[in-house]
Amino acid sequence: MAIESSHLDRTFAALSDPTRRAILSRLALGEATVSELVKPFPFTQPTISRHLKVLEEAGLIEGGRDAQRRPRRLNAKSMKDMADWIEPFRQIWETRFDNLDRHLAAINQKET
Amino acid sequence: MPAQPGATASGYALDRPARTIRFERDFAASPAQLYAAWTEPDQLRVWWDASGKPLLRCEIDLRVGGAFSYVVQDHPEMPFAGVYREIVPNQRLVFDALGAIGRVVLQARDHGTHMIVEIECTSDEQLEQFVQMGVHIGTSGTMDNLVRHLDGAAVPAE
Repeated sequence: MAIESSHLDRTFAALSDPTRRAILSRLALGEATVSELVKPFPFTQPTISRHLKVLEEAGLIEGGRDAQRRPRRLNAKSMKDMADWIEPFRQIWETRFDNLDRHLAAINQKET
Repeated sequence: MPAQPGATASGYALDRPARTIRFERDFAASPAQLYAAWTEPDQLRVWWDASGKPLLRCEIDLRVGGAFSYVVQDHPEMPFAGVYREIVPNQRLVFDALGAIGRVVLQARDHGTHMIVEIECTSDEQLEQFVQMGVHIGTSGTMDNLVRHLDGAAVPAE
């Protein structure tokens, strides 16, 4: 698989914090500046900035285009990596359910 | 709901904040038939292993607190084993397995059944482990066959 495990480790470490997950949920709605991100939390701006730095280093978020407001947004590629990582697992379970489907069809054929 | 990180095509979703992997599928069989397929060893033996091989062993003690264990041929050392937490015949099975919580929900639909299977992990590390282990057990049988084939070794007739 294309992603290195050290990168995934960093991603998972970044996701292990509830505040950081809440920040990601907010950014899933669209880009936001630091001051917008601070609002729902009982934290100071430097605390939120520290969390943003961890998320940035994990490659989960990136800076938006507006250099002055410095909005943050989700990193689409990183999100795709996470989806790719789980793809083989998904295929195994889908295959399992294909088997189940065939098995049930065979049973129904016998009964009718 | 806005696009969750990791969410993909219909039928499958990774709900990362909840550390839950969810599969949904429709079957042209009754909830009772699905329930039997999930709870009778002779049936699980046929369909569980993604490689298509019948299970080596399948033991089920179908009661709350009862244990189950499915052993695939390629990895007898790594059974899918757990304990039932909740049993509602033809509707719902909840179990602990490999440190995660599994849920099977069966809903009657026109001429069939809508099945939801959820795997909920208790931590991100565990989610990662669960997926990697699942991939390991599910794919290495196929890899073994390929390696044998490429080696040109005489494959023992099964």
